[in-house]
Amino acid sequence: MTLIHIQGLSKHFKILNRHEGLKGAVRDLFSGDYRTVQAVDGISLDIEPGEIVGYIGPNGAGKSTTIKMMTGILKPSAGVLQVNGLVPYDNRIRQAMIMGVVFGQRTQLWWDLPVIESFKILKEIYKVDQKMFDEHLGMFHELVGLKALYSQQARTLSLGQRMLCDITASFLHNPQVVFLDEPTIGLDVSIKAKIRSLILELNRTRNTTIILTTHDLGDVEALCRRIIIIDKGKILYDGDIKKVNALFGAYRTLKLQIKDYSEATLAALQDRLTGTFGAGHGITIAQTEDCWTDVTIDQARTPLADVLAFIMTNFTVEDVRIVEISMENVVRKIYDGALK
Amino acid sequence: MRGYFAFLRGAMLVGVVYRLGFLFTILGNIVYMIIAYFLWRSIYAGKEILNGLTFDQALLYIALGSTIFILLKTYTDWGMAEEIRSGTISVYLTKPIDYQLYNLFSTIGFASTSILTVTLPTIFMLFFVFRIPFVLGAGYLFFPVSLLLAFIINFNMDYAIGLSAFYTESIWGISTTKEIIVSVLSGALLPLQFFPAAVQQVLMVLPFQAMFFTPLMMVTKPDQNAGVFLQMLAVQALWAAVTYVASRLLYNQAIKVLRVAGG
Repeated sequence: MTLIHIQGLSKHFKILNRHEGLKGAVRDLFSGDYRTVQAVDGISLDIEPGEIVGYIGPNGAGKSTTIKMMTGILKPSAGVLQVNGLVPYDNRIRQAMIMGVVFGQRTQLWWDLPVIESFKILKEIYKVDQKMFDEHLGMFHELVGLKALYSQQARTLSLGQRMLCDITASFLHNPQVVFLDEPTIGLDVSIKAKIRSLILELNRTRNTTIILTTHDLGDVEALCRRIIIIDKGKILYDGDIKKVNALFGAYRTLKLQIKDYSEATLAALQDRLTGTFGAGHGITIAQTEDCWTDVTIDQARTPLADVLAFIMTNFTVEDVRIVEISMENVVRKIYDGALK
Repeated sequence: MRGYFAFLRGAMLVGVVYRLGFLFTILGNIVYMIIAYFLWRSIYAGKEILNGLTFDQALLYIALGSTIFILLKTYTDWGMAEEIRSGTISVYLTKPIDYQLYNLFSTIGFASTSILTVTLPTIFMLFFVFRIPFVLGAGYLFFPVSLLLAFIINFNMDYAIGLSAFYTESIWGISTTKEIIVSVLSGALLPLQFFPAAVQQVLMVLPFQAMFFTPLMMVTKPDQNAGVFLQMLAVQALWAAVTYVASRLLYNQAIKVLRVAGG
């Protein structure tokens, strides 16, 4: 049976148009000047039990809004949304029993209490019996070695430790579905790896459905078999990760600071790269912040080293960085037809 | 229900986590008691009875009034406003709990630590240091129930003010206003007998007297017949019910704002 069924789901917000200055602020008090923002715009998807789904998109794409509708916090403006056959918004308390939620930027742990006390509170509100509770904690201890943290106040934990505890907390009542909203944000590589293996193990042993929103494409590659990409409230892609994987994997972005940069430099760079590497070179150039030029390279077509060498010999470059492709660029590629 | 008691227990634990704060609360209250004692001594200089209260009764009223004030000062509205403004409320809304009951039980847990730090030391000082004569009466039996009802009325008001954070960026003004109104009109600062008769009549039909004056009367004049106390409790229960329904209705409206505006 389908665990989550979504059909033509929309959410729009009415936002007051604010005006500048004191005069504007006073005017806003009585203003009826609203604009409508279409945060989620007619999406449809079905999620089966036991899936790990990567729900990704750039900032403001509508990811969090969708999650908040699925967890019953927000009421949809239109469309069908069922989790385990029920409408989350109308059955919030009942639905919450089968869900676990981790908001990466917030914690469900009691700030001033030792971690174990938070777990005990959650044990009571989810009516988890003692035997199951002990079993769960034992299992988490085996997976990530949390025991040493139990007696610490949540506020004294590092961000990574806190996240491990938060994920543990969200699985305590053995939910059918867990929503992880940016679980690895701001964490270093080793703790990210730990969190990923914890999530994978929980999914494997308990068949928990996991819906993961993230900015980190590494998370998606490591965890998900299925990926849903959303932008401006609409679904751009829903399917196997393998197809998209090539897109993330092969692309690298060269960030350059070119001396005496002007509009003409960008055009010259474009021309000369096309001249050297041919028409199908798979290179795109964009100007980002003040003085950085982004050169995104499809390594399947043109080796990055060649492009770098070419630019270094022909332009005066003050600084250079190599970064993995960003979410925004993936979305741009999809618009450009990269998945067709 | 067990789940909500877990919140109560958790909030109590938070209350005692900070040991130094715990100690200073005890000390601060003792200092206040001593000041109140001498202040009211000089108010009563040469007089037996003022506005129908003896010095002993007045001191009992003022000192216990201050402990109730601390008991009711739970900062629930501030905590809620912070949760609502920062969006942390989402975390609670994804749990199988009722937000109002969660707050009520946490607040009771938080306040109960001040029974240890403030209420008990105050009672000890009143009867053993200041040697207030202990008057036997039924009032003492009704007092705990009355205190609980006062607590619930106060909680419902705080809860409603906390909810106003859905509409406004800062609840400072509204919260401070409420605090001043309550402390003057409830009889927390001054026994209501000290107000002019006409004002007293108005105050008796407002909910504020049910928060301080009613429970305090039960211990300052404990030797009245039970019918009087039962009537007082009935009025309190009525106000508890009215404020509960009102704050529930406000929640149902306010939560729509969250759902419309996103969080």
